[in-house]
Amino acid sequence: MYRSQALAIKYFSAAMILFGVMTLFGLVSAYYYLNPDFLFGILPFNIAKIIHINTLVIWLLMGFMGSIYWFLPGELGRETAGIWAAEALFYVFCTAVAVVAVVFIFVQYGGSNEAALWFINQGRKYVEAPRWAALGIVVIMVVFAYNVIGTAVAARQTTGIITVLMIDLIPLILLYLIAFPAISNMSADLFWWWWLVHLWVEATWEVLIGCIMALALMQLLGTSRRIVETWLYIEVALVLGTGILGLGHHYFWIGTPSYWLTIGGFFSALEPLPLLGMVVHAVYDAGAQHMKTTNRPALYWMMAEAFGNFIGAGVWGFMITLPQVNLYAHGTQWTVSHGHFAFWGAYSCGVISVLYLVLQKTRNLAFVDGSLWKWSFAALNLGLVGMTGALLVSGFVQAFVERAMGGSTLNAFISGQENAWFVDGMVARFLLAIVFTAGYFVLVWDVVTLGRRAPAVAAVSPAQ
Amino acid sequence: MSALATLETGLLLGLYALLSGIWGVLWALAQFRQNPIFGRLAVAAYGLHTLVALTIVLWTPLGIGWKCLIVGSSLVFLALPPMTWRLLESTHQNAGSEHDREFSQHSPRVVARV
Repeated sequence: MYRSQALAIKYFSAAMILFGVMTLFGLVSAYYYLNPDFLFGILPFNIAKIIHINTLVIWLLMGFMGSIYWFLPGELGRETAGIWAAEALFYVFCTAVAVVAVVFIFVQYGGSNEAALWFINQGRKYVEAPRWAALGIVVIMVVFAYNVIGTAVAARQTTGIITVLMIDLIPLILLYLIAFPAISNMSADLFWWWWLVHLWVEATWEVLIGCIMALALMQLLGTSRRIVETWLYIEVALVLGTGILGLGHHYFWIGTPSYWLTIGGFFSALEPLPLLGMVVHAVYDAGAQHMKTTNRPALYWMMAEAFGNFIGAGVWGFMITLPQVNLYAHGTQWTVSHGHFAFWGAYSCGVISVLYLVLQKTRNLAFVDGSLWKWSFAALNLGLVGMTGALLVSGFVQAFVERAMGGSTLNAFISGQENAWFVDGMVARFLLAIVFTAGYFVLVWDVVTLGRRAPAVAAVSPAQ
Repeated sequence: MSALATLETGLLLGLYALLSGIWGVLWALAQFRQNPIFGRLAVAAYGLHTLVALTIVLWTPLGIGWKCLIVGSSLVFLALPPMTWRLLESTHQNAGSEHDREFSQHSPRVVARV
């Protein structure tokens, strides 16, 4: 095994732990809606929410990095360049995440000064990490980019997938720099902040997961390189074509020119088209293989990725993307519902799929199956779909009662929050979050014990 | 747009996209299974999709430009699964013939020398 692949296993382990932290703080955040006095004076809602969202970003990022460190040496036929730096930075990364989490939980707030910005909270939603940690993330991503590009240079060759990956890493790093400048004009600040959030999620991350899924497909189904590379190019063209200017669908209520709403609505309305192509592709691949594979959980999670991406990003997104609806739905639980489903479908399922591929290799299993992964697959997906359904109902109430009828006044906000449908939606969301959490623990149990608890799993041949 | 129309339009748009996905999946399944039931269900799904598109065009207060986008997207949704399928078959056939020439499926196809 290459050192890069050993590092990948560490990244996947850290990602799984952070996935758990994210789930736990999501559960806590959901409970605040039922009992606003919960942890009063100890842990405010906004801190729990910050940790929930930041760990989401970090566990997925670690999952992506683990996937690349896993596939890269095999792809280019040599050890990853500068692997010693990557190994050292892994521990720095984990320590920094732990320190930031401790500061968020125990310090929580600082004054309106530079010290608070550097050591407590940088203040931008979703990228709240204090400046020292944000700088650390930049260093880690630069070294990650060096690992990929340096390996291609040292190997004196590149492949289509690695070329796309190398190009993608540049905007991935550059866009994160938007987290740093302190812009005093709030409209200008939010204008650029959305570049970071949107173009990471709906452009650079989409390309990154596309590269990872292309590499995983070759390993899982033996799909030819020509096919995955052809589709990767098509996907990149379509995703970037629709995704970049779809940025405008966020520009509500922040003082940006109104033409952005039309541009954003138009391009993001086109986003379901490539996603439908991806779903047809998934059905084709599954049918061509007759759903036969040596790694069933990896295949099912990959299928869940294609379908979840279409439904979460495509269907849920299309509901709110046209400006006439977005005007009222923006920032309600309706968009929260879309965000949960889209992140799950587009990214989380893909990372879990690669995790099972890695486990098959590291545990030397001829065939991966069993019952535990099915329970975790069912609980996680049912929990997630249920949560998004419940959030959707609550979001409808907010858009209807609070925004469209009440005109977004404080009284209208209170009416919306007290509406029976909103409250029931929040109760249902919490209960289904418990199902999701149970699914997470079964997943961890399966991952930890796979190949150890049932020798039969390793012995069964793929033909059976 | 009235409060109720906001909800109705949002739901119709979601249903519109969902039915396009169902159409795509059923159409793809019909190709594999060679089962006429899947084919009929696919047509039914696209029929419902068209019905929802018509409802959006005739009933919701969206502007004319957005309604044109809905109609145009419906036509693209109709063509997308067969187009994707043909492209998939063509790339798989080409890859298959490459494989016959004893190229390894996993060997890196070097696209550039650094």
